[in-house]
Amino acid sequence: MKSLSHPSQLAAWRARLIEERDSARKTVIVSNGTCGRASGSLDIIEALGRELDRRGLRETVRLQVTGCHGFCEFEPNVVIWPEGIYYGRLKPEDIPGIVDQTVLKNKVIGRLAYADPKTGRRYALQKDIPFYRKQVRRITGDNLRIDPERIEDYIMADGYQALAKALFDMTAEEVIREVEASGLRGRGGAGFPTGRKWQFCRQEMAARRYIICNADEGNPGTYMDRSILVANPHSVIEGMIIGAYAIGASEGYIYVRMEAPQAVRQITVARDQARKFGLLGKSILGSEFHFDIEIVEGAGAFVCGEETSLMASIEGKRAVSRQRPPFPAQSGLWGQPTNINNVETWANVPLIVRHGAEWYGQVGTPGSKGTKIFSLVGKIRHGGQVEVPMGIKLREIIYDIGGGIKDGKKFKAVQTGGPAGGFLPAEFLDLAVDYDNLVRAGSTMGSGGMIVLDETTCMVDLARHYMHFTQEESCGKCVPCRVGTRQMHDILVRITQGEGEEEDLARLQELSESIMAASLCGLGQTAPNPVLSSIRHFRQEYIDHIKHKKCAAGVCRGLARVSGRSSVAAGRKKKSQHD
Amino acid sequence: MQPAGKRKANMIKLRINGQEVTAERGATVLDAAKAHGIRIPNLCAAEGLTSYGGCRLCLAEIKGRKGYVPACCTPVEENLEVITDTPELRKLRQLTLELILSEHPHACLICAEKTDCEEYKSTIRKVNEVTGCVLCPKNGQCRLQEVVEEIKIERVRFPASYRNFEVLRDDPFFDRNYNLCILCARCVRVCSEVRGAAALTIVFRGPQAVIGTALDRPLLDSGCEFCGACVDVCPTGALTERALKGERLPDETRRTICPLCSVGCSLEVGLRKGRIVGSRPLEGAAVNDGQACVKGRFMIRDVVHSPKRALRPMIRGHNGLEEVSWDEALEAAAQRLTAGQPESSAMAISSQLSLEDLYIAGKFSRAILNTDPVLATPVASPLLAYWEALRENEISAPLNFNISSLSEVGAVVVLGTDLPLTHPIIWLNVLKAVRRGAKLVLWDPGPASPIRWATRILRTTPGSELAVLSHLGRRLLEQRPKGEPVQVPGFNEFEHFLHDVTHVEGISPTGVSDQEIRSLAGLLYGARPGVFLCGAGILTRSDAGVIVRMLWNVAQLLGARVVPLPLESNERGAVELWPWGLANAPSLDSIVCGLESGRIKSLYLAGGFPFFGRKRPDALIVQDCYRTEFTGGADVILPAATWAETDGTFVNIEGRIQKFKRALEPIGEARPDWWIFCRLAEKLGRKDFAFQSPLEIAEEIGRMLPALREADSAHSRKGRPSFVFEEKKLAGRFLPFGPPVTPATEVAGHSLEGSRQRLSDFYRGLDLCQEVKGFRRLREKLNLRDEKTKA
Repeated sequence: MKSLSHPSQLAAWRARLIEERDSARKTVIVSNGTCGRASGSLDIIEALGRELDRRGLRETVRLQVTGCHGFCEFEPNVVIWPEGIYYGRLKPEDIPGIVDQTVLKNKVIGRLAYADPKTGRRYALQKDIPFYRKQVRRITGDNLRIDPERIEDYIMADGYQALAKALFDMTAEEVIREVEASGLRGRGGAGFPTGRKWQFCRQEMAARRYIICNADEGNPGTYMDRSILVANPHSVIEGMIIGAYAIGASEGYIYVRMEAPQAVRQITVARDQARKFGLLGKSILGSEFHFDIEIVEGAGAFVCGEETSLMASIEGKRAVSRQRPPFPAQSGLWGQPTNINNVETWANVPLIVRHGAEWYGQVGTPGSKGTKIFSLVGKIRHGGQVEVPMGIKLREIIYDIGGGIKDGKKFKAVQTGGPAGGFLPAEFLDLAVDYDNLVRAGSTMGSGGMIVLDETTCMVDLARHYMHFTQEESCGKCVPCRVGTRQMHDILVRITQGEGEEEDLARLQELSESIMAASLCGLGQTAPNPVLSSIRHFRQEYIDHIKHKKCAAGVCRGLARVSGRSSVAAGRKKKSQHD
Repeated sequence: MQPAGKRKANMIKLRINGQEVTAERGATVLDAAKAHGIRIPNLCAAEGLTSYGGCRLCLAEIKGRKGYVPACCTPVEENLEVITDTPELRKLRQLTLELILSEHPHACLICAEKTDCEEYKSTIRKVNEVTGCVLCPKNGQCRLQEVVEEIKIERVRFPASYRNFEVLRDDPFFDRNYNLCILCARCVRVCSEVRGAAALTIVFRGPQAVIGTALDRPLLDSGCEFCGACVDVCPTGALTERALKGERLPDETRRTICPLCSVGCSLEVGLRKGRIVGSRPLEGAAVNDGQACVKGRFMIRDVVHSPKRALRPMIRGHNGLEEVSWDEALEAAAQRLTAGQPESSAMAISSQLSLEDLYIAGKFSRAILNTDPVLATPVASPLLAYWEALRENEISAPLNFNISSLSEVGAVVVLGTDLPLTHPIIWLNVLKAVRRGAKLVLWDPGPASPIRWATRILRTTPGSELAVLSHLGRRLLEQRPKGEPVQVPGFNEFEHFLHDVTHVEGISPTGVSDQEIRSLAGLLYGARPGVFLCGAGILTRSDAGVIVRMLWNVAQLLGARVVPLPLESNERGAVELWPWGLANAPSLDSIVCGLESGRIKSLYLAGGFPFFGRKRPDALIVQDCYRTEFTGGADVILPAATWAETDGTFVNIEGRIQKFKRALEPIGEARPDWWIFCRLAEKLGRKDFAFQSPLEIAEEIGRMLPALREADSAHSRKGRPSFVFEEKKLAGRFLPFGPPVTPATEVAGHSLEGSRQRLSDFYRGLDLCQEVKGFRRLREKLNLRDEKTKA
């Protein structure tokens, strides 16, 4: 296959690929994302290969290795196509049976099929499993069909069609209008309307403009972006090329953490393939549009997710935030207008261009369109990466998709938005999840972390944990963030050690407000959120820690549990008992 | 009027706290407030540095904008309404300052008795661990103290977190105590933005963040030039000059001109009890605007108060050198001078003497010794060489320029010098140009050359400069638009000459390729106007004459300027004063030879004379500020005052006339050079040396150098710089070339090889490397680096 120099060649290639592929052919799909590998998917792939070789089935049965399908709790798993039979939590020993029974004889092995822990009911097909039933997998839906190492798979899944459409059937302004009309908002957390952001950058007079894909996913417990890059890297690249065309940028950067080596690898492989086939570089698809992408590996500072730090890091400088304005759209990378979007935002772009804004807006709420991917983690039964329509209720995500709380414990709260977000206790379970509702409830969407907490979680300790994170990750430039978060952390440490004072709550409150008002960048301006939110919703827990020297969850060592049943001796530090 | 209108269009009106103010476009709200006397507390902002926004003390409200914005990072806009003082802002500032102080020893800052404390501070036991202001070397000059007064806090509600860093004292000149640091990053910014050294950075993040060097190496290993700019911008006592520790604040400060290189930085020396305790660059000075180098910043005190100072006149008696009265010494010197034959005498003078001293020295030498004095400098004068080469071609070379205009050129070619080392302040202006996009070409860079800023680096085999230059000329001809007739005289001849002598084959032994030169030609032509900065490394070679001619012609092709870089403080003055005399004077080598052969019987040394043969003349009179190895052989020692102890004039590298006043009384019985010459001449019966002050001498010089006469009044005239003569617009002209020349490879003048050859680290007879240990370490490091690059 040579480099593509005309959109018709892309269409012809796609037609030929589809023709060549026998859709009735049996296919065993193994999910091989980071979580899959951690659970042993490489052994499963090896066992499958051995078994297929042993039986001489290499020609008749296709082995498809893909990125993550989201159901991380049940890795490693396989899906047998075209039926869609799903087996989870596999061991290499299960493989001969699967090949023998399911692949060759089309029989479902009941023992390996997914069983709902609540009802005990078994589900043979992946699409029937409750975890998947309520999801709307627009971005992640193609993961099953795509081997991230093969651009051909992406082409077959209508890949780069949107690019051809944008380049040849639309003007740059039309692309921006379409994106604006779709109501797409930045998936990085702040939720700024993407189309408008592009417009700002486009209207700035400059010889050069840049676009950046922010793949510096650093919130604890989130891995949406990493999964997209591993499972469907071309969707991000296609989105970026379209964005570059719309904005008038000639160079793009993908800033990805080096701690996600698989993501770095897959996006690099995909970028190189796109270059090879004329989808990146000079005259893309034979058009007059030139654009190329560089991949920059971040060294793992949380603050690099902040756009001005990220740009400093790309420029080879120390990653510290700088005061805005000027905004990146006015003066960004190397002083030129720059547009930064998150991985998930870019991955949404091809869908909008391909299907149109109207189609895109069919899902979601008036203020927040489309779907959102969440990393559902914590004390949840079925953790994983879920893609849900905006406006879905928290309860649906946690109970219907996530299967409720682990080990029959009681739900306490869900944390969204990472270290910048807040806690939502049970009374918010029926909140429809979108950007504005979450902010109104005192949290944020963030990039999509959703950490479920149960009764064994101490909110004071968790707030301390978040403060520890932000003070360590502060770049150290501005005083409120560098020193203020440390003072807050020190106060929280004292409280969890039973040395809290009554004024501490007021101190935390005052520090929080000042840090939020005076800090330079988003990191500091949002850092006190977990503390403020936990004080708002769980004030009694703080009072228990401070006044009664008790920790209801039994997390804070050196403090007694509230319930007398398992009261732990408090130790020397517990003055109040001696009094 | 067009310019006024333009200026008006660039002025922006805004309101700060209801007061209408105007500011230039591009200024920040903080600048605008400062200019109108509206105080907004701030710590990290500093003149000449980019906005940082780290301390968050200058937060302000802007009508129509969410939240608070730092005034230092907010550019002025038309009709902006800024409010800098509200109860909320005051509260926010207080809390932020409390947070800053929680990391900084603050007991004294908020102590109720701080004003009464001064007289009780008695112990310096804990001087290494600064625990409060009373023992802090910055006490009384500290920005943090000022800000605490401004914001008015009485307590710090947060527990102190002393960071317990080890005080770093291994580097020369200043200590770094990061326990006092507030991380305003002023030092980091000045080091990289203004000085281009970037030796400092912030390392680690969050609560561990601290100023450091790459890989935590000492500053000596980190590319630090010890210019002291970081010390000067540090708002706290974190960076302090070591020599000032335990010293009280100076009683008074006086202005002077640094005599340690040809740039002539304006300095401010601090005096306590009549002694210089320190020096720092003068803010807003035309030449150096608040910047200096290691010599001017840290070594002035050592130069003036060196233990090697010659304090009393001495003559050689039966028991060696003996202290005598001035009268006896002058008598002895007079006797020695009358004894010798006219052609057997020689006088060597330093070009670090003031214009007045130099004039009298010349007059003395010609009148009494019947010979022109020779400039005795560690490195032969590149300026004189350049002047002479052009004079041979009847061109009176344009020498005047304005240092600050260097920051506006499009290309800079540096050859024969390590600019940041020999002329640090000139380098700062070149750096400004480079930051604005100018191309920097380093030709045979030395160990301290700013390689990281270079657009091109040219490494040629020694002696091939001429070949490379002519090849460059040839390639530049191709850059010019075709068919455009060139009216400049001599152009056609030069063009033919270049076609005759340059061949592509001829370029290979030079170490650079035709390709490199071709691309350099394109680069320079595209980046006009350019400037060639030429140091001693190229101008003091024996083939300097022909190189200068070629350089001149190549520069003509580019419309570029050639600037020779003299090394010593009054080298330019000496050339202005009697260029013909200097050119006719015997060379330094011939004096050394004359001493060896015994032809020269008596030698009068005024200033330093660091290179001395083994053989002593019959009569040796030394007139210097210091007693060094070679004064041991003197018959008469006449102790001279340093520049700081007398009034005088320097003419700096630009041609700027720099008058300076004495900063302190002469030390011991030292006397100014002019006084010694005059009194000695009077002893010899001369009547035309009856000067009683430098002013009278200046008047006499003024008859030949009218600019000098006007300098005094010109100074008062709006502080406009006065140059030695007004620049004449010179008609362009190409110099003729004879038959092809074979370039010489040997180096003329004093044969000191290596980087020292391009460098003068002396004040008169005093070798600064021997005198100041920290400076010696710095130079040793440099020589080490030099050897490494050569290897």
